[in-house]
Amino acid sequence: MSFWRRKTREAELDEELRAHLSMSVETRVARGADRKEAEHAARREFGNVGLVKEVTRDAWGRRWLGDLIDDARYGLRMLRKNPGFTAVAILTLALGIGSNTAVFSLIDALLLRSLAVPSPRELVHISFGPPGTKGPLPGPMFDRLRERQSAFTDLFAWTNAPMVLTEKGAARPVTGAYATGSAFPTLKLKPRLGRLLNWQDDEAGGSSNGIAAVISEAFWIEHFGGDPGVLGQPITVDGGTATIVGVVPRSFNGITVDYAPQVVLPFAFDVALHGKSSWFHTMGRLKPGVGFEQAKANLSTIAGEVVKESVPSNYQRADDLRNGILSLAPGRSGNSPLGETYGRELWTLQALVGLLMIICCANLATLELSRTLNRQHELVVRSALGAGRGRLVRQLVAESAILAFAGAAAGIVLSQWMSALLVRYIEQSDFPVFLDLRPNAASFAATTALATLTVILTGALPALHLTHVHTEEMLRSGVQRSIARKRHPLTASLLPVQVALSLLLASLALLFAISRGKLLHVDPGFRVKDITLFGVDFERGPEKGEARLDLYRRMLGALRQAPGVEAASVIAVRPLGEGGMDESAGPVEGNGPATKHLFENLVGPEYFATAGTEVLAGREFSQFDRFGRTPVCILNQAAASFFFPRQNAIGKHVRPGEPNAARDTCEVIAVVADAKYLSLREPASPTIYYPYEQLPNFNWVGFITRSHDTSAAVAAFKNGLRRVAPETPLLPPITMQRQLEDSIGKERMTAALSLFFGGLALLLTSIGLYGLQSQRVVQRTAEIGLRIALGAQQKDMLWFILREATAVFAIGLPIGLALAFAASHFIGAQLYEISPHDPRIYFAAVMTLLGAGFLASSIPARRATNVDPMVALRYE
Amino acid sequence: MPEKKERYQNRIELLQGTLDLLILQTLQWGPQHGYGISVAIRNRSGEILQVDTGSLYPALHRLEKQKWIKAEWKVSENKQRAKYYQLTAAGKKQLSRERSKWSQLSDAMAGVLNPEQM
Repeated sequence: MSFWRRKTREAELDEELRAHLSMSVETRVARGADRKEAEHAARREFGNVGLVKEVTRDAWGRRWLGDLIDDARYGLRMLRKNPGFTAVAILTLALGIGSNTAVFSLIDALLLRSLAVPSPRELVHISFGPPGTKGPLPGPMFDRLRERQSAFTDLFAWTNAPMVLTEKGAARPVTGAYATGSAFPTLKLKPRLGRLLNWQDDEAGGSSNGIAAVISEAFWIEHFGGDPGVLGQPITVDGGTATIVGVVPRSFNGITVDYAPQVVLPFAFDVALHGKSSWFHTMGRLKPGVGFEQAKANLSTIAGEVVKESVPSNYQRADDLRNGILSLAPGRSGNSPLGETYGRELWTLQALVGLLMIICCANLATLELSRTLNRQHELVVRSALGAGRGRLVRQLVAESAILAFAGAAAGIVLSQWMSALLVRYIEQSDFPVFLDLRPNAASFAATTALATLTVILTGALPALHLTHVHTEEMLRSGVQRSIARKRHPLTASLLPVQVALSLLLASLALLFAISRGKLLHVDPGFRVKDITLFGVDFERGPEKGEARLDLYRRMLGALRQAPGVEAASVIAVRPLGEGGMDESAGPVEGNGPATKHLFENLVGPEYFATAGTEVLAGREFSQFDRFGRTPVCILNQAAASFFFPRQNAIGKHVRPGEPNAARDTCEVIAVVADAKYLSLREPASPTIYYPYEQLPNFNWVGFITRSHDTSAAVAAFKNGLRRVAPETPLLPPITMQRQLEDSIGKERMTAALSLFFGGLALLLTSIGLYGLQSQRVVQRTAEIGLRIALGAQQKDMLWFILREATAVFAIGLPIGLALAFAASHFIGAQLYEISPHDPRIYFAAVMTLLGAGFLASSIPARRATNVDPMVALRYE
Repeated sequence: MPEKKERYQNRIELLQGTLDLLILQTLQWGPQHGYGISVAIRNRSGEILQVDTGSLYPALHRLEKQKWIKAEWKVSENKQRAKYYQLTAAGKKQLSRERSKWSQLSDAMAGVLNPEQM
C-alpha cells in the first residue's frame, strides 16, 4: 500500500467516524436530549474510537510498512526515555559483536580463507625435508618431479623475495616474488591487463623483448597511476631489468597470506642475476578426478627415484637431503607463516571473546528483565486501553530490534578498530603486514543473530507475562506491591553465570599477563637499553669480497667517530630476530661430542663490549683477525662446556662439520656468557661466533650501536651510509627494546587483549549486579521502610541487600574456579614460568571479582540505608 | 415486538457473512452513510440487531475493498460531509447470492429444529 494513500485514508476514516458521531449526537438532540448528555451517550454507544479505527484499518489489509514505522517510532521513543539503559545496552552489544567479528576476521584472513583462484581446493603444497621438517625443493628436484608426476595438471614454484626497485637513481624496496612460468596458468588466473607469465618466460634470458615481469594491480595504480601504457615499459629491480607485460588482478595477493608481491618475475631473472636458482616453494593443482590420497600415493611411488636423482653428490649436507622425504599438504589457503605462528594464540583469543559474548548476552538479558518490572505498569495501562497482546509484543520486539540494529552498527565500527589493533600487535617492525581484513560476514551475522535473539526474547517477555497479571488489580493496588515478591527466575541464574565466566576470564588474563611480565624481565644475556640495530644490503651493489669488507670498515669507522655513539660493531644474525644459522661442528682436541646444532653468528670487533655480553675469558675479535690470518672463533659458555667439558676452551680448536676450505679448524680465542638469540623462552643454545672479516661473502650483515641518544645513532648511520655507499637503500633501524618486544609479540598480544576482555567482562558483570541490586531496592522500598521503622540498624539493612549479591557470588565463584582450573590446562603451553595451577592467581582473581561486586552493590546498598521510612510507607 | 430490549441480552453475535447481507440489503434501498445504515438495521429489526461500530466499519471497508459497494463523499441532511455507500452491479449479484444462501440455511435450520413439520 502506498504510504501517502494511507495518510489520506487515515484522514478520511477519521472524518467518516467523526461524521457518524456528530450525526448520532444531532439525532439525540433532535429528540429532545440535552447536548452534553447527547454527546456522552453518543460516545458511549460509539465505543472506543481508537479501537474502531484499528479494526477498520485491519480490514484494509496487510500494511506492513505502516505498522512497522509506527512500531519503530514507538520503540525509539521508549529507548530515548531511558538513556542509561539504551547506552549500556548498545555498548554491550557493540562490545560483544565487535570483538568477536574482529578476532574471527583475523583468524579467517590468516588461517581459513582460500586463495582467490578458481577451485582452490585442488591446490596442494609439496614440501621436502628430513622427516619431521618441511621445506622448499631444490631446483633440480623440482624439475625431476615435474617430469615424473602424473597426479597433477602441473606443478609450479613460487618464492617470495623482497627486492629493490631502482628508478631514476632512487631506490625503494618492493615486495617481489619469483615464479615459474607454470604458476599463473596452474593457478588459473586471468590478467587484469596484458598477459601473465607463462612457460615461455622460463627460457633463459627471456624472449626477444627481454625477461618478462608482471606487477600487481595495487602497485600498478599506486606507482604507475593505473596507466595502461605501462605495458612494455622496463622495470629495474636488484640491478637487473625486465619488461612489464601484464598486471595481476587485485583479488590475488600471492600465495603467502601476509605477503602481497608487487612485482612477479620468472626464475630466469634470478638465474640471470645470481647465476644459480633458489629453492622452490612448490605447489600443484590436482588433476580433475584425482583425490588428495591418490596424489599422495602417486608421490610416494616416484619420490625415491626423484630424490636420488636430483641430489648432486657434492652438495652441502648431501646426507640430510638423501634422507629427506617429499610430502603433500592441502594448499587451499596458501601459505601462512603468520597463521602458523599466531594460530594458537588467535584461537585462544577467539575462545575468550566467545565467552565475552555469552556474558554480553547474559548482561543484556539481565538489563531487559530488570526493566520488565518497570514496564509492567505501562503495559497494563495500554492493555486496559484496548491494546491486544499481539500488538504489545510486536511493539516490544520492534524496540528490541532497533536496539539490536544500533548495537550491530556500533559493533561494525568497533570491529574495524579492533582489527587494526590486532594487526598492529602481530606486525613485526621490519615486515609490514599486508592483510585483507574485511569483516568476516559469517561471524558478524552469527553474533548479531545471537544478540538480536537475546534482546528480542527478553524484551518481549513483559508482554507475554501480561496474562498472569490481573490488570484491574494492578491498576488499583499499585504496581509496586503486586510485583514486589515476583522475581524472574532467569535473573537468578544469569548473574552467577556471569560471575563464573568473569572469574574464568580474569584468571586467564592474569595468567597471560604474568607470563608476559616474566618474559619481559628475562635477562637475555645482552644489553637491551640504548642498543640500535641497523640492517644494510650491500648485496645489490657491485662491491664484492675485499671491497665489500672495506665498506663495512669505513661504515664502522664513521659510526664510531660520530658524536653520541658510544660503541659500534657489526653483527649478522640479530638477537631475537627470527633469523639463525645452524651448523654442525665438533671439537678437535679433547673428547667432547660433536653436534649438529650449533648456532652460528658473525660479529665484528668489539661486538661483545657493544652488545653488553660479558667476555668470560680471552679477548674480543680485533681488526687483525682478517681473511688470510689464522681462522678464529669465539664460543659461548654453553658451547665451550659442551665441546670442552671442564677444560679451558681457549687455545683449543673447533672443526666445522662440513669440509670447507675456507673454514677449516678455527682457534677458540674467547668464551663469552650465554646470550639468547633465538627465543627468550628457550635457554641459550651453544653458539659459535666468527669474525665477519674472515667470511667476506656473507650477506645481510648489519650494524649494532650503543648510544644514549638513539636519534644520534640513526643520524650517524644515515650520514655514514650516504658517504660510504650512497646507492644503497636505507632500511629502517630498530631498537633492541623493540626487537625484544616483537619477539614476544604473541605473548604481549594475548596478555594485553585478555586483560582487556577480562576487564570488560568484569565491568559488564558489575553493571549487571548494580542493575539488579538497584531494582531490588526500588521494589522493596516499602519493606525496607518498614524494617527501618521497626528499628533495624544500618548494618542490618546493608546485609539485607548484600545478601542477594552474596548468594550470587556463592554460586558463581566455585563454578568459575572450576572452569578456570579446567581451562588453564589448555593454555599451559603458552605460559612462561608460571604454573596454570598457581593458587595465587586464582586468589587474586577471586579478590578482584569480590571487590568489583562489592563496589557494584555498595551504591544500591547505601541507598537502601538512606530510605526514609515515612516516605516509603506512605508511597504505598 | 417487545418495546424494551436490554442491550446486553439481545446483542446477537452477528456472523461476518450475516452482517454483510444486512448491509447489502440495506443499501438496496438507496445510498446511505455508516450511521444511517446502523440506524436502518436497528429500526428494521425492531431494535434487536444493534450493530456496533467496531463491526460495522470494518465490514463496510471490506465490502468496499471487494468492490460490492462503492463510496462517495456527499453533503448529508444536516449540512455535513459524510461518506455515502451504494451497491455496485457486482454487489447486487452478491446480494441475491447471499439471500438465497440465507433461505437455504434457515430452511435447513427449520428442518432440524422442527422435525415433525417436514
